[in-house]
This record gives sequence, C-alpha cells and structure tokens, in this order.
Amino acid sequence: MDAGDTSKGIAVNLSFKDIQYRFARFLLTVAGVGFLVTASVGMVGLYRGIIADALLVIDTIGADLWVVQGDRQGPFSEGSAVPLDLDARVESLGNVYNVRRFRQFSYQFLHNGKQSRAAITTLDYPKDNGSWLNLVYGRSIGAAHFEVVADVSSGLHVGETIHMGKDEYRVVGLTAGMVDASGDAMMFITLNDALAISSQRTSEEILLARNAAQAGNQNSGASSSAGRISAVLVSLDAATDPGTVRDAMMNWGDVNVLTQADQSDLLLNQRLWRLRLQILAFTAVLLVVMAIIISLIIYTMTIEKLHQIAMLKLIGARNALIVSMIAQQAAMIGVGGFAFGLLLSNLIFPYFPRRIVMTPEDLGLLFAAVCIVSAGSSLFGISRALSVKAQEVLS
Amino acid sequence: MSDQTVPVLSLRRIAKHYVSGESVVRALDGVSLDIMPGELVGVVGPSGSGKSTMLLIAGLLETPTEGEVFVSGRLVSSPDANLDELRDFRRRNIGFVFQKANLLPFLTAAENVAIALEIDDVPARAALAYATELLEDVDLSHRIHNLPARLSGGEQQRVAVARALANDPTLLLADEPTAALDAVRGRQVIEQFRAIARAREAAVVVVTHDQRALEMFDRIIELVDGKLASIRTPGALEGQVI
Repeated sequence: MDAGDTSKGIAVNLSFKDIQYRFARFLLTVAGVGFLVTASVGMVGLYRGIIADALLVIDTIGADLWVVQGDRQGPFSEGSAVPLDLDARVESLGNVYNVRRFRQFSYQFLHNGKQSRAAITTLDYPKDNGSWLNLVYGRSIGAAHFEVVADVSSGLHVGETIHMGKDEYRVVGLTAGMVDASGDAMMFITLNDALAISSQRTSEEILLARNAAQAGNQNSGASSSAGRISAVLVSLDAATDPGTVRDAMMNWGDVNVLTQADQSDLLLNQRLWRLRLQILAFTAVLLVVMAIIISLIIYTMTIEKLHQIAMLKLIGARNALIVSMIAQQAAMIGVGGFAFGLLLSNLIFPYFPRRIVMTPEDLGLLFAAVCIVSAGSSLFGISRALSVKAQEVLS
Repeated sequence: MSDQTVPVLSLRRIAKHYVSGESVVRALDGVSLDIMPGELVGVVGPSGSGKSTMLLIAGLLETPTEGEVFVSGRLVSSPDANLDELRDFRRRNIGFVFQKANLLPFLTAAENVAIALEIDDVPARAALAYATELLEDVDLSHRIHNLPARLSGGEQQRVAVARALANDPTLLLADEPTAALDAVRGRQVIEQFRAIARAREAAVVVVTHDQRALEMFDRIIELVDGKLASIRTPGALEGQVI
C-alpha cells in the first residue's frame, strides 16, 4: 500500500467516525440540505407541471389543426366562438380524416355540500368517445347524455351523481392527471350536454331575451355564445400538408386556423408567460439560496474542525489526508441531502394540489448543481484548512 | 540506542524577531543550549520570556530569524528552512504534548494514539496493537476503547503522551502539560516523562510554570526577555548564570 492509499483509508475512517460521533447533527444537516433540495425540486417541478397541464389537451387530443373564430387566437389564449355547424364545412375539404367540435369552460358545481370547480371539456360523442383520456377507473362516455368522466382530483367517485344545469349526471369513469392550465380538474361530458349546461338561463334572462327579440334586437349577448362552440379540431390524412388545408380554410375569411405548435406557443409564450417567468425567477432565487446555505454549512463544518486539523498537521498528517477528509464529508452531505430531498419529494409531492413533474433531466441537473456547490464550498474549506499552521493547536 | 555523546537537541544562537509596525519584538535573542539523551529538562520564565517560541522553533514549527537547530547532530532548521519539507522528519523524531490534550473527540483512546502511526503509513491493525501497548505503559489499559469525553483530564493527558510516543521520537517537547491538572496528576505526568527519558533515552523538554515540579527535572533552564538567564540543577541554590 502506498502513502496515498493509506491517506485515503485514514481519511475515510476519520470522516465516518466523525459523522458517527455527531450522527444526530449530521442527520439534521443532511435533512436541512434535503429540504432545500425538496424545495428546489418542487419549484422546478411546479414549473414543469404548469406547462404539462397547460399543454395536456393540445398534446393528447390528437388534432392537427384548430379552427377558431376569425382574427382570434382561441380557445385557450383568448375567447373563441364559432358556429355549431362549422364542422360540416371543414369536413367537406379534402384530406380531412376526422373533425370534432370542441368547447371548454369553467363550471362550479355542488359536491358533498361544497362548491367545487371544474373545467368542463366536451367530447363530440359519438365521433369522440374519449379514447385519448387517461382513464384509470370505470369507463369512458357510452351514452349521448348525462354521463360524465371526471378527473380524480375533482374528488368525485365512479357511480356518484352530480347536478349540473337542470340535470343529474352520473360519474362513469375517472381520469388521472387531467387538469386545465389553472389546475382545475377536467370533467368530460358530451358536447350536447355541455351546450345544455352553458345555455341554462334564469327566467329573467329568458324574459329579457324575448323582449329584445320582439324589439328586433337579435344580438342578445346572453344567448349568442351559448349555442356556439370554441373550436373545430381537425385530424388530417397521413402525409397531408397541413399548410394546404389551413390556407383553404383561411380563405373563408371568418375563421382562423392554428396548428398544434401555434397553440403550444400561444399558451406558453403569451397566456402563461408571466407565470412561467415568475416561477423561473423564484426557482433561480431558491437555487441561489440553496447554493449559499449548502456552502455555508460545509464551510462552517470545516472551520469548526480547524483545531483538529492543526492537531493532525502537528502529528505529521499530509495535506492529502486533510483534503480527503473535508471533501468526503462535503460529498456525504451533498449526496445524502440530495437523496433525502428526492425521497421526500416522492413522498409529499403527490399530495400537492398542483402537479409537480420531476424529469430525470431536471433531477440530473439539480444533482450536478448540488455536487458543484458541495465541491466549490469544500474547496473554500480546503483552502482555509490548508492555510492552518500546526502551531495553531496551541491557540 | 542513541549516541550518548551527541545532543538530541542543539540550539545555536537562536533568535526570533517579530516586526510589529516600526518596532521589533525580540521573542528570543541568541539562545544556545544542548539537551542530551535521557535528560529531562524544565524551561521556566515569566510570561513573554520566549519559552513557547523556543519550543516551537525546537519542534520545527517555526523557523528562527537567526541561528540553527540540530536534532541528533543533524542540522534541520535555520532561517531559510522549509517547514513543510520537515513534516516527515518532525513526525518521526519529535513528539508533542500540550496543556490541552487535543485529542480527536470522535476517536477512542487507542485510535487517537494509532492515528499518529497510521499517518506514518503503519497498517491500521499493527498501529492499533502498538497503540494499545503504549496505553498500557501509561496505565490506561482499562480506557483503550473510551472516547476522550469519557476520560478525566489526567487520563486525556496520558493518552496525549502515548500519542507523542507513538513514533518513538528522540525528542519530546511539552508545553505546560500539567497546567490543567491537580498537583498529584501533574506530578504523575512529570514522573511519566522521567520514565520515558530513561527508558527510551529520549530528551524531554518541558515548559512549565509549576514550581512544585521543578525538583523532578535534571536541569532547569530559565529564560528572561528572550535570553537564557540561567541553567541550574534543582538542588543548587544559585543558578549558573550564562
């Protein structure tokens, strides 16, 4: 065994024995770093979750083109209302494989005596039977009326009945992880049911609308959007150029046509731009705080050992031994803290109200950041430790 | 067996000056002395007389501003010496004991002694075995597996002595080793040094303020204002003024 190997062996021994001696303190330090890692994982995951939630429908519904109201960027970035029969016009074009009508709106309903909120999302049944839903319990919509598939985050259960509009709806299936950009659980019902719910009016509204009609004013706002849809979703035949179909529809003059990429861009860079920037800014601040605190912990840990380091130098310890001892403890705190943070994240984030998405790439980058911070701060500690003179043991 | 005619420690015209602003503090000023194998020497003097500075220079922890340090006849330190390069020589030839035991709190008594050997590349098992022997020599065989926190002050100091002896040094330097101990424990430590000096033919230099211990030394060196004021034997009424 050469001198270097011996130094490493002693350093491992010293590091472990020191940790063993102050085990409770080590655990608390690791837990502290772990909580910081958890918070960082949470912020990054929240950012990813908001993006994933926002793009959920766009990415999973399987539409190549979204036909929306003319001069509008709907239906997610801004409002859009197109005629109910627009799908027939779109279907008449060549190279169109499938056409579905789409509408989504927020809705409050009574559940277990409490007001709950959901994003009602339509299925153009029977063309769309919800095969794209992430169904985890029960079944999808199997009838034209009064059936609902809800996300588990709504708190509803299969077999339950809820009152919406003037009717009772039975929950036939549950999805997982299907929420809108605001985090509200999605509830899937047929388009006709959705139109019935959204067109429900009070007696006074009906009276006013009737009076307006008699006075020749047909544009009563209360009813104009109730019988309309937000968009028509178009799936194209394989190998069809979306640009050609899009140009054909744009020539009608009364619609705007957006691709899946356009919708993603509108959501991320317009509707959610401020929120994303804010979360990213908080994440950056949190990462800086994490870096500073981990650095302080490791540096302080080294400073506390200066007297012992002076003693080791006095009895002839080589610098390699001192460096290994500090680096190993910093690594144990960094790696231990990251592992604890990851464990905690997996335990608690599933119970958070918003989705926290932990990707291997993000976790890898965070681990690299923790390693770099630990290594950097241990370098500060090491440079301080190496400047200690053996005679400082007398101080 | 060391050569009885060659001093273990020789200081030749040692001076240590510290510059503070425009003034120069002369911590040591032309000190020369020889300490022979098997000799137990006490160093006394008022605070600031240069006792600890002399110990640091003799222990190769400081370089002198002027003069030379010889250990077992070999010139090891002078004003331009590189102390880092002397680390291995120091580890193998010089042992230290201080007022505080300075034990590593997370190692047992045996491990605290063994670490000095492991640093010198002695395999862990052999180091621990020899450390156990050394602790038995200082009557701590019942405390081998105890952490320092479980030892009394006197026991901790004896572990420090055992650690200082681990590499079988020819020179043992002690700075106020009895200051934190009661009279009985203090006397036991000096007796231990006496036994070490005789059994190992090592030179033991002890800086002390403890007047009760003076009679136990072979010679007493008195420093005043950084200069050697006297060297005397404990029984003598008058010191030999240099």
